[in-house]
Order: sequence, then C-alpha cells, then structure tokens
Amino acid sequence: MVYLTSWDDFVERSVQLFRADPEKTRYVMKYRHCDGKLVLKVTDDKECIKFKTDQAQDAKKMEKLNNIFFTLMARGPEADISEVSGKEHMEAQPAKKGRGRKQ
Amino acid sequence: MSSGASQPNNISKVRLQPDPFLNELTNMFERSTEKGSVWVTLKYSSDKSKLQRNKMKTAGEKIEYKCLIRATDGKKTISTLTDLYIYAWGILGWAKRSPAFPSFICDHSESPHDCIEEEGKKGQEKGSRF
Repeated sequence: MVYLTSWDDFVERSVQLFRADPEKTRYVMKYRHCDGKLVLKVTDDKECIKFKTDQAQDAKKMEKLNNIFFTLMARGPEADISEVSGKEHMEAQPAKKGRGRKQ
Repeated sequence: MSSGASQPNNISKVRLQPDPFLNELTNMFERSTEKGSVWVTLKYSSDKSKLQRNKMKTAGEKIEYKCLIRATDGKKTISTLTDLYIYAWGILGWAKRSPAFPSFICDHSESPHDCIEEEGKKGQEKGSRF
C-alpha cells in the first residue's frame, strides 16, 4: 500500500487504475469523526494507492474525486470526466460580463 | 470489510433501496461520532457473479453495469445499486446533512456544482482541520 503525497498524482493514478480494470477497481473512503481523519483508497486488489488528510481544505479535492468516480461508475469507464473534473475550474472563475456603459 | 461466507442467523450485510440506504448511512455517521470509523465504497458492478457474466459474454448478451455503493461501520454493512450519476451523488450529498458527517463538506449541497460554489464563497482556511 502506498500513501501518495501529491493529490494530482493520486487522482491521475486512480482514474488509470479504474480504466485499466473497471470490474475489479474500487474506491473507498474511510472517515473517523473522533480523529478528524479521512483516508481515500483506490485498489484493484493488485495495486493499492491511498491518500490521507485531516485538513479541511482537502475536502474540495475529495468532492472532485467523488464526482469523477460517480461519473465513471454510473456511466462507464469510457465516460467523459472532463466536464466533472474541469468544470470546477470554470465555475471558480468569475463570470465574464459584457461591457456596460459607464454613467 | 469482510467478504466471507454469509451466516444465515446474523444479518451483517443488507441490500437496500436508495432511499432507505440514505437513511441508514446517515444513522451510521451519527452513531460513529464518538468512536469508530465509517467506510464508504464505490464499485462498478453488474451485480452478477463471474459465472453469470461469463455466460452472458459467451451468449453475446450485453451486461449492464451500475454503481454499487457500500457503507459499513465495522458492525453492519449496507449497500445499494444505482445507475444514475445524479442519484449516486445525491446519496453522498444527503448523508452530508448529518451533523456527524464531515462538516467541512458543504452543508446543504444538492449537486456537486452547488458544493463547489459554496466552498468558493466560504473561502479557504489554510491549515484548518476537520
């Protein structure tokens, strides 16, 4: 079992693992409220990668990965996850409005 | 989570419809506030045995896959099967409303996009813990 320190690496390898063997790969979230610790694990029973955190700021990252896996597991391994993984970047940017006249 | 042989007298694994699953998942988080852990597992599943899948493949039948969601607190395991992305998200989103669920996740999201916007408004507290 390997704990990855880079979130981006964890996400990338997770998706690769799943797409390589969708039937055997599972995504596990373990939460301990008393310790405030969250551990994410992705494994196909051959390879296992994990990411752990106790930081609230990582919650948004977990949400993103949840979105990705929900999309993949409900729609299939070939599902397009760009709208799920990339859309938060779009929404984080302020909406561009047309130029208004200054009065 | 163990996947050993089931014991007829002890119901340790329960398959539920999505709505009862939501209720029980929330209860599970609430029971685990003082001690213990809650595990939530997502799996791409056809809900058929390997033998059945092989037979279907041989016969050229299409195998339908859904999202299998399991949750356990170490004592009881519950599960549900859904093929709707939005509903699968809703399951986790509904459980978020439990006070025992990680409160760092937005409190009342209905969709992943609502949650992202909510987090953006709140801003990030560097180094803050759960």
